Amino acid sequence: MPVLYLLNSRRQSGRLLLLALIVAGACRDARSGAGTPASGTAALRDDYGHLLRLAVPPRRIVSLNPATTELLFALGAGPRVVGRTQYDLWPDSARLVPSVGAGMQPNLEAVLGRQPDLVVMYASGSDRGAADRLTTAGVATAAFRMDRIADFARVAMVLGRLIGDTVRARAVVDSVTGTLDRVRHATQSLPRPSVFLHAWEKPLMTLGGGSFVSELVTIAGGRNIYDSLPAPSPVVTLEDVLRRNPDIILVSPIERSNIMESERWRALRAVRTGRVLAYDTNLVARPSVKLGEAAVSLARLFHPGVLP
Amino acid sequence: MTTALIDRVRWPLLVLAVVAALLLAVALGTISLAPGAVWDALLGRGDPAAITVVLVLRLPRAVLAGLIGAGLGISGAALQGTMRNPLAEPYLLGVSGGAAVGAVLAVSLGVAAVFLPIAAFAGAVLAVAVTFFVAHAAGTRGDARILLMAGVVVGAFANSVIMLVLGTAPSNAVRDAVWWMMGSVAAATWSQTAWLAVYVLLGGGALLAWSRQIDVLSLGDDTAAALGLAPEATARRIYAAAALVAAATVAAAGLVGFVGLVVPHIVRGLGVRRHRPLLVGSAFAGAALVILADLAARTLRPPSELPLGAVTAIVGVPFFLSRLRRLA
Repeated sequence: MPVLYLLNSRRQSGRLLLLALIVAGACRDARSGAGTPASGTAALRDDYGHLLRLAVPPRRIVSLNPATTELLFALGAGPRVVGRTQYDLWPDSARLVPSVGAGMQPNLEAVLGRQPDLVVMYASGSDRGAADRLTTAGVATAAFRMDRIADFARVAMVLGRLIGDTVRARAVVDSVTGTLDRVRHATQSLPRPSVFLHAWEKPLMTLGGGSFVSELVTIAGGRNIYDSLPAPSPVVTLEDVLRRNPDIILVSPIERSNIMESERWRALRAVRTGRVLAYDTNLVARPSVKLGEAAVSLARLFHPGVLP
Repeated sequence: MTTALIDRVRWPLLVLAVVAALLLAVALGTISLAPGAVWDALLGRGDPAAITVVLVLRLPRAVLAGLIGAGLGISGAALQGTMRNPLAEPYLLGVSGGAAVGAVLAVSLGVAAVFLPIAAFAGAVLAVAVTFFVAHAAGTRGDARILLMAGVVVGAFANSVIMLVLGTAPSNAVRDAVWWMMGSVAAATWSQTAWLAVYVLLGGGALLAWSRQIDVLSLGDDTAAALGLAPEATARRIYAAAALVAAATVAAAGLVGFVGLVVPHIVRGLGVRRHRPLLVGSAFAGAALVILADLAARTLRPPSELPLGAVTAIVGVPFFLSRLRRLA
């Protein structure tokens, strides 16, 4: 059971599992030339509203969003990924794929140089033009917003249809949502600490309700004090953080020592009581395949001992 | 108001403005505190939580904002007098552009945040030096218009360097740099404030000591020379001191626009003409203005914080336009 396995495993074994998934995916990929022909003909709409119609499953994919790169590898399409962004670090085998530079405002010549038959990108406000030009150049382009946990499940299923393996997509989604459900269940009846998500120091930025991290905090049995702010990363005043008086400050390992030593931050109860918790920046990073593991890691921080 | 009345209330008004701005800045914020609690906290008594809010969160940033306003006000007043140009301001000498290049380079090279002010300061000083060099190479002897043009060109060059660097920088670095360029005193600390106070007192003191010479220069180079002053050397000294003060403010809190431009006009509007009182008055008015602008930046849209430089620009530009129409 991948669900239980993910939940109980340490990160290393989680990686091994995904490696196994990838290898299995590669084997399946070799067979897929003969199998699943019907899925390629499906017409799909991306988040720019563009209609996508692929006659055959794509063989050369460029992924301009680390979250979709991760997802494509988990779906077994890793061997078909021929281009990624410079920020893609996961899975390890993704680093072997040539980088085409930035994912937002991409270098289109670098993308086209990889001769892709499908480009998957983040549907940002500024990249609609880039998607249009890729389409004009004859390359099928699919843009997706991936900000929330629901986006992950939705995009996973769409990509599954595009690459011609909806079974695998369903398994990956079920595994992640199953783990999330288990974490949610385990923390449901526990007291909920209020959490300040420290995203950036200068300016002081947090993560609002529009971010998957805020959702993860809720699932892990916490409460984001800025959950009601719609902006994904609003700038806030330290005084307002003090007013909301969080039980826990969740921070990257690098920033933790700065906060602990700062005279200003000492004003917060969470700093004085030592509840400035460093989260795993490799896990709580993208709304993708590791969402379940990320929820587990946060639940272990908020409620030590509740999850094995 | 009659001129006589203005003459009498001018100084009490300016001092009162700074004191009132400071009191408002420590009294108001997202956390509401009773006036009595604020006063107790200022004296270090009463509720420890209130003491923290007032003495650790609000007072350092109010004082830092005041110093930045004072520095930019003095610097602007000295430059406008010396250049005989009411449009002159420290940022036009390349201070802002140079400081921004320094900061952006530091951020994108991954230099530790504590060195960012030093990089900004170095960039500002370097840019001012280049501005002087360009003006000098143009062969004019201390022509204020050429100097302003040189400043604009150096600023444009700085902008292109910033865009080149940010164009390829990772998004985190871009965010750091852009926010820094918008100006903020949110992260004010006492050590930072003390450091800036030294620059503002030394630079401002020097400008104040030279205020008679600024009076003479403002009459024109020929008159100045006839009165026994070496116009070019004197002007260069004043430019350097003014740029140094402005660079220090930029290093402390990023770019806080239009203060150096607008504040001397406010003080002249109170009937001040000679430069000694104009410099002192600009220090007071600038301090009050930036303290209030920062108060607005952190309280207008809670829980968010607005960029300080954007607030001063939104206040400063319409004011300046109205003054300009009256001048025309």
